[in-house]
Amino acid sequence: MLQAELLEAVLKRALAGGADFAEVYAERSRKRQMVVRSGRLEDALSGLDYGAGIRLFFGTEVVYAYTNDLTKEGLLEALETLLKAKGTLGKVDERGMGGLDFRKRAPKGLHTPKVPYGEKDKRYRLERLLEAESGARIAPEIRQVEASLLEWEQEVLIANTEGVLAEERRVRTRLFVLAVAQDGAEVQTGYAGPGKSVGLELFDLYPPKAVGEKAARQALTNLRAKPAPAGTFPVVVGPGFGGVLFHEAVGHLLETTSVAKKASVLSDKLGERIASPAVTYIDDGTLPHAWGSTEVDDEGRPTERTVLIEGGVLKAYMVDRLGHLQTGYPMTGSGRRQDYTFAPTSRMRNTFIAPGDKKPEELFEGIEFGLYAKEMGGGQVKPGSGEYNFAVQEGYIIRKGRIEEPVRGAMLVGKGPETLMRVVAVADDWENAPGMCGSLSGAVPVEVGQPHVLVSEIVVGGRA
Amino acid sequence: MTLEEAKGYVLRRAKEMGLEAELLFVENRELSIRAQGGRLEELKEARQGGVGLRVVAGGRVGYAYTEELSQEALDWALEEARENALLSAKEGRIPPGRPLGSHDLLGEGLSAPLEAKRQAALSLEKALREDPRVKAVLMGGYMEREVRLALESTQGAQGAYRTGLAGLMGSFVMGEGASLKQGWDAQFGKEFHALDPGRTALELREKTARLLGARPLRTGRYRAYLEPKAMASLLMILAQAFSGKMAMEGKSRLLGRLGERIASELVTLIDDPTLEKGLLSRPFDAEGTPARPTVVVEKGVFKTFLHNSETARALGQENTGHARRGYRGPLGVGPSNLYLAPGGDLKLTDGVVITEFMGLHAGANPVSLDFSLQALGLWVEEGEVRHAVENFAVAGNLLELLQAVEGVGSDLDWVLMDAAYGSPTVAVAELSFAGA
Repeated sequence: MLQAELLEAVLKRALAGGADFAEVYAERSRKRQMVVRSGRLEDALSGLDYGAGIRLFFGTEVVYAYTNDLTKEGLLEALETLLKAKGTLGKVDERGMGGLDFRKRAPKGLHTPKVPYGEKDKRYRLERLLEAESGARIAPEIRQVEASLLEWEQEVLIANTEGVLAEERRVRTRLFVLAVAQDGAEVQTGYAGPGKSVGLELFDLYPPKAVGEKAARQALTNLRAKPAPAGTFPVVVGPGFGGVLFHEAVGHLLETTSVAKKASVLSDKLGERIASPAVTYIDDGTLPHAWGSTEVDDEGRPTERTVLIEGGVLKAYMVDRLGHLQTGYPMTGSGRRQDYTFAPTSRMRNTFIAPGDKKPEELFEGIEFGLYAKEMGGGQVKPGSGEYNFAVQEGYIIRKGRIEEPVRGAMLVGKGPETLMRVVAVADDWENAPGMCGSLSGAVPVEVGQPHVLVSEIVVGGRA
Repeated sequence: MTLEEAKGYVLRRAKEMGLEAELLFVENRELSIRAQGGRLEELKEARQGGVGLRVVAGGRVGYAYTEELSQEALDWALEEARENALLSAKEGRIPPGRPLGSHDLLGEGLSAPLEAKRQAALSLEKALREDPRVKAVLMGGYMEREVRLALESTQGAQGAYRTGLAGLMGSFVMGEGASLKQGWDAQFGKEFHALDPGRTALELREKTARLLGARPLRTGRYRAYLEPKAMASLLMILAQAFSGKMAMEGKSRLLGRLGERIASELVTLIDDPTLEKGLLSRPFDAEGTPARPTVVVEKGVFKTFLHNSETARALGQENTGHARRGYRGPLGVGPSNLYLAPGGDLKLTDGVVITEFMGLHAGANPVSLDFSLQALGLWVEEGEVRHAVENFAVAGNLLELLQAVEGVGSDLDWVLMDAAYGSPTVAVAELSFAGA
């Protein structure tokens, strides 16, 4: 995308301007979105994102600029804007004089798609979407179905004054089906949205018809569901996207973005017991073809598998370059950003609770009255107070150890550290699911995951 | 190519290819300054722009965009848009347009020197720390955004405008004893000089401090007083039910209910893109329809959906000029400055004051309008705030909530999300609260 000479010119000028460290991040992304409704293609969009961000460190002060002009003049102009804003223009530093010794990192192709971006035509994609839509038409109550395909091919280049020169082509594909069920005045929705760092082989991994059917079944379940009860109950959280509970309740609290400023309730707790012994929590950016995997992070470091909590004890935080400078904790390849318009911050990749030794059915035994949160929606957290919430997309009442009638509209709320201590049991049936995570550096693809998990009590927001 | 050159090139090429085309050129300038511990933490200054295309080929609509303005990239975008149109089954056309002029809605609003803006960020962060109960500042800073937008079509539309806004924002942790609360808020305006870091910091601290020492709330049904920003955030979800696009796609519960009473008669909802100080005012929409105020709900009666030319035609209703589009997306519908009209005096008696809702994107369903949301608040008895409450959720349906409105205050305030949403304090007869 950019020549080494150009990168060197920009980075050396940055050092000459007094920066301790400089980084160039360049990106060229092609995106395609196709939406099928009522048996026909309704919205089709193609796009090309093209831009670069320049980040300079002066100690722990960061200045950042981005531009769509990736010529030498364009990048140097953006850089001068930054140096001027910092107020150090004209200050020449010896370190800017020597050459930069780039250590070019060749991608290993860990997540290379089997079906390359250009291989199939749009009609092929449209046919798969129509299959997904017809898969959802399983009952007359299904009034509307929307099937969409998102394809995203992102080429990134990261170079810095420490000699890093990394390039990576990241391909991600996601199928999303929304089903709307209606019965009289009652309207409810269901959805399914598998996605991975793969090409169109996603359709082989998740047959479109089955994805459509899953969304429709959920909409129909919610249509006959009663409003969830309100109160404090034991909750069994389902596998896969159920992991969003811990993504919100714990994951965000372990990012140095808030930890470094003591703005997380889990700051300064390395080595301490912060969770029940049943909890081992891992953030793994290396899982092959996972939605949140990359070979290098957006600071050009190889991604890692980071064990955050082991047997309830806090082992590590997620650390980017700025977080490392602020805290001294080793970097974990966790610097991520939505695109070139954001400077990176420490972010989760694929974060999950490791499997335990119980059978899923054992978790339900002995629950007199509780909630089975089988499928989740999204959630949110305030790291400074630990207060989190997340929505249950498909839920059932547990009565005397048995899964009974469906309930809808349940919201689980609590404080992360308290919930962590209340994890009573973890089953052995782990799986992960994709989502988008929003934070200071924008929305990035992540996976969340877990086996079935039993929490002894959570506030369930339903109808009182 | 420059944007101007790219515009000429794409229009010329589109005509040669026999396409109807509409081009949206957007240039964004962003400045953000975050302070931390009395020093600069991150300063960001940047420009970004691109061109979004809507083309009609064979009576069908297709979209593409590019940020790279090379001839190769522009040709690619045109070809992709044409291919997308030919594959699509959605009929459409580029509406006939006319010259719309060039407008400046920003003026000198952001013209202060960089140093003054840096000082504003530093003052805000410092002022946030002036209360010993503030344990950590996650973010304190200043941001501004300037947008230049130009619209041009082969059907005669041609217009441009410049707008922007400035804001102060803070996120911090307050503690007293074992009680911890994280506060976050932002205040925006059209002019840098109208911002006041000291006052903003004081308001942020006071808003968060009153939540300290919160007690659990007992599960039950209580009267609720929704503070302006809490109610305004619900309007973002409701706006989707008013969207002609959601209606056209069979995803609005309000389809078929025009003219019906859907809310208490205290409720009047207006979208006004012409408000002089409106944060997201605009002279025309993304298709070049001139802006005018639209009354969506009048004294509880549902008057109109928000439409663009496509949704209006599909539903056989009048276009209200609410086409919305960034250059990166397809044509949609959206409000600009949507607000609940202020009423008169509102006195607290008994119930729960809701100061903030959390988890809106997950806990409120824009199709069913059911919601179950984590909230923060205050317990009120005999007209007095007794203590803060926490660890609870509020559930219901937004249409039922609108019908249960029994009082509307006069303290209109705004939040900026995908649009500007405004509301005064609203009293709701009864809501369902889940807690301990």
